[in-house]
Amino acid sequence: MSGRSAWWRADVVLKPDEAAGPETAPARLSEADTAYLASLAPAAISRYQRLNPLTKATLATVTTLGAFVLGGYLGPLLLLVGIVLPGAIAAHLLRRVVRVAVLFSLPISISVALVSVFTRAGSTVLFNLGPFDATLEGVDFAAQIIVRLFTIAMALALFGLTTEPRAFVVDLERRGLSPRVAFAAAATLETIPLMVERALAIQAAQRARGLDTEGSLSARVRGVLPLVAPVILSSLTEVEERSLALEVRSFGRPGRRDLLWTLPDTGRERALRWLLVAALVVALVAPLAGVMPRLP
Amino acid sequence: MASKWFRVAVAVVVGAVTLVVGMAAAGSFDTTVDPNTGLVAGSNAFMFVLAVALLLAFIAYAGVEFATTRRLDSITSQFDTRTIVLIPIAIAINIVLGQTVGNALKIPLYLDSVGTILVGALAGPIPGALTGLLANLIWTFVLAGTPFGSAFAWPFAIVAAEIGLLAGVFGYYGFFRSRPNTSIPTLVGGVVVAGLILLGLAAYGVLPFYAKGGFTFFGTNPTDSLFTIIAYGIGIGLILALVALTIQLFVRRDLGVAFIVVAGAICGVISALISAPISAFVFGGVTGSGSDILVGAFQQAGSSLIEAVFQQGLLQDPIDKTIEFIVAFLLLQTLSRRFSARFPQGERAVGMVEG
Amino acid sequence: MLVLDGVSYRYPGYARQVLLDIDLTLGDGEIVGLVGPNEAGKSTLCLVLSGLAPASVGGVLAGTVTIDGETTAGLKSYELARLIGLVFQNPNTQRSGVTATVFEEVALGPVNLGLPVAETVERTRWAMAALRIEDLAERDPARLSGGQAQLVAIASILAMRPRHLVLDEPTAQLDPEGTRLVAEALRDLASTGTALLIAEHKTDVLARICQRVVAIDAGRIVLDAPAAEGFADSRLPAIGVEAPAVVRIGAALGELGVAMPEIAP
Repeated sequence: MSGRSAWWRADVVLKPDEAAGPETAPARLSEADTAYLASLAPAAISRYQRLNPLTKATLATVTTLGAFVLGGYLGPLLLLVGIVLPGAIAAHLLRRVVRVAVLFSLPISISVALVSVFTRAGSTVLFNLGPFDATLEGVDFAAQIIVRLFTIAMALALFGLTTEPRAFVVDLERRGLSPRVAFAAAATLETIPLMVERALAIQAAQRARGLDTEGSLSARVRGVLPLVAPVILSSLTEVEERSLALEVRSFGRPGRRDLLWTLPDTGRERALRWLLVAALVVALVAPLAGVMPRLP
Repeated sequence: MASKWFRVAVAVVVGAVTLVVGMAAAGSFDTTVDPNTGLVAGSNAFMFVLAVALLLAFIAYAGVEFATTRRLDSITSQFDTRTIVLIPIAIAINIVLGQTVGNALKIPLYLDSVGTILVGALAGPIPGALTGLLANLIWTFVLAGTPFGSAFAWPFAIVAAEIGLLAGVFGYYGFFRSRPNTSIPTLVGGVVVAGLILLGLAAYGVLPFYAKGGFTFFGTNPTDSLFTIIAYGIGIGLILALVALTIQLFVRRDLGVAFIVVAGAICGVISALISAPISAFVFGGVTGSGSDILVGAFQQAGSSLIEAVFQQGLLQDPIDKTIEFIVAFLLLQTLSRRFSARFPQGERAVGMVEG
Repeated sequence: MLVLDGVSYRYPGYARQVLLDIDLTLGDGEIVGLVGPNEAGKSTLCLVLSGLAPASVGGVLAGTVTIDGETTAGLKSYELARLIGLVFQNPNTQRSGVTATVFEEVALGPVNLGLPVAETVERTRWAMAALRIEDLAERDPARLSGGQAQLVAIASILAMRPRHLVLDEPTAQLDPEGTRLVAEALRDLASTGTALLIAEHKTDVLARICQRVVAIDAGRIVLDAPAAEGFADSRLPAIGVEAPAVVRIGAALGELGVAMPEIAP
């Protein structure tokens, strides 16, 4: 339990509620309870992770959109060095972020390189490979796309590795997201790993019965289909039971909920978010208005 | 239902006007061809303008409903608890199928919208659109650090939303219903009509994009032979699929197959038209799937980047979407009527429940 | 007090009446067992009692369902949640899937009711204590045994402090260990004053805690008697319900001419 503590504040909104029923005095949170609730929030192991999820999301989004808007080489690299790398270092996750980003962008980078280098129309031919000509324009185009994609992958990897999805959903609900949407979002994140687990279990069972899961294309197709169908069907037939069980727990009641724990948000972070958005808008509008030249 | 048609009409008009105005405004910024990307700069704005147009159309629809009835019932009624429980499952189906089957089998199929189609058919167009949108956004932004993430799904969220919207509309009009044991004359008539619709789609929606390519199927240029092989492969696959479908059609005499194929083809063409500019602008025409080879081949045959992406999309998307619609159709048949009937649009989608 | 008066019910899209002319009264704090063969309508009766049928499931309900004088007709499902709780058989589908600890899972019901945090915490602690699962508070709800998960499900409903609690075959999907856990928990629960209606096949579980037993067959109530005579009634085996072991052993001993000794519960 060490490491979880003072940086989290309990913002408890106490209001009288008829729903509390005939019990008389409204209950009060003891010190021990407050500390316990604080411990339910995800632990933060670095100052970067302690940032509010919306701030981290804004950083990722602005970097991603900025990489498109700025174009060329310089823009994405500036974003990478100015936003993503400092964040990753502050979170002590540099190596992992880079590894994830490379894993992500490598297959597509190879595709981009192969396709663009050889098939883009261009005048300066660098070398030939059979019937295909590699052009300088092709290499340039491919390089720009790769830089852009790598920057985006880095920004998203940083966000993914430093943000707990449940914490993000809780924070959004505190800001006014409907509880039902919050539920749908949170449930999605749980369902995917569960479905994968179920799929792996079924795959193991079917492999034990001799169904081919490796090999030629037709064998793989035949192996995948009996695997995919039960997972999907069993998930779908559960919908009725799950929705009844939720309704019994007052799901869908209109109105706000008083959440057990929330994450703090500071004035400085709010200012930072607005600053980032403003910078993005400027970067979008300025070249169109002719105020700023397109970066190389 | 007169008021509902009125709302839809208002929404369509608002959307169309926004689209035209937006394209004109965006086009006027910069119509020269950007030498770096080979794109008309105005096409960058296409995705943005389309998103804005759809959003304004939706707001117009909701606005008219709110103004006349002071509530948003036609939208919120699509979102009962069952829908909310279904959406995460559908999103998970999208991501799991798209990431594993789509990528692992290495065939040019995306197969990442089956969940979206299910939600659209059972719950309605708005939940369907929301499912598609959320699925793509979550696929990228939330799953970013995990093996199930894809950094490149988020720009196609608008395409996914359109698929959900269309699936909802098709579901409303009963395109997902199984109609077994139709009489032979009706069956043949239905197949002929479907065939004509598909031909019309091909002639007016698809082939015009190939006229500029300047390629022939049977050229003597070496790249043409590569392309010929690919084309033959796709053609054979298509014919096999059609044969299988026809068998299903005639053994079970299920006219629903004809309906679903038409629905899938229409959705595919529209999806291709929307996703091509996205793919070209955002990824330079490369999405890391098997379709990249096709794009390259088209470019080698003389198309510009944007033309090549359209040509690849219009070949691949209708097939992929038709297959996905068929998968959803088969799933709905497998699931019990009791399951489907309780959804907001379930009875319309799957047909009346017997006593 | 829960009153069903002349209640008949059929599911949407089906013509057959699943429940026929049911009259049933449950007093405050009463522990009632509901038995019957398969497809007799036990689960449907549970859904009707909790108001989910027709509020959530649809269908056509004739007659009235009254909770403490208030009719349930027209109430939405989230309004009913405060009045009456329902526990299902399958512990996995009752898990919400959005919580990381058992504490948050149990607290979900009160949070959904919009209660202030302090009230939520108090109710959660009370519910978990009532079922003796305080030591599970930090565990991941998805990684529990069947019996533990079912206890968490019961606690989740209990935390909303409903006036009546209906349990639809709570031990059906559990192994003997899980059944034992839940049965003991229900026994402890019965002593706290919450009214319980427990539908079960395993009459042994019911025999030790119910004050009254109701038998249903083909949609109609065929027996409604105090537990001692109800469980011994010959109508139970006649409709296909196995009498509790105590009764069966007593009958076998009786045939041998041996009197059944008093067995303390």
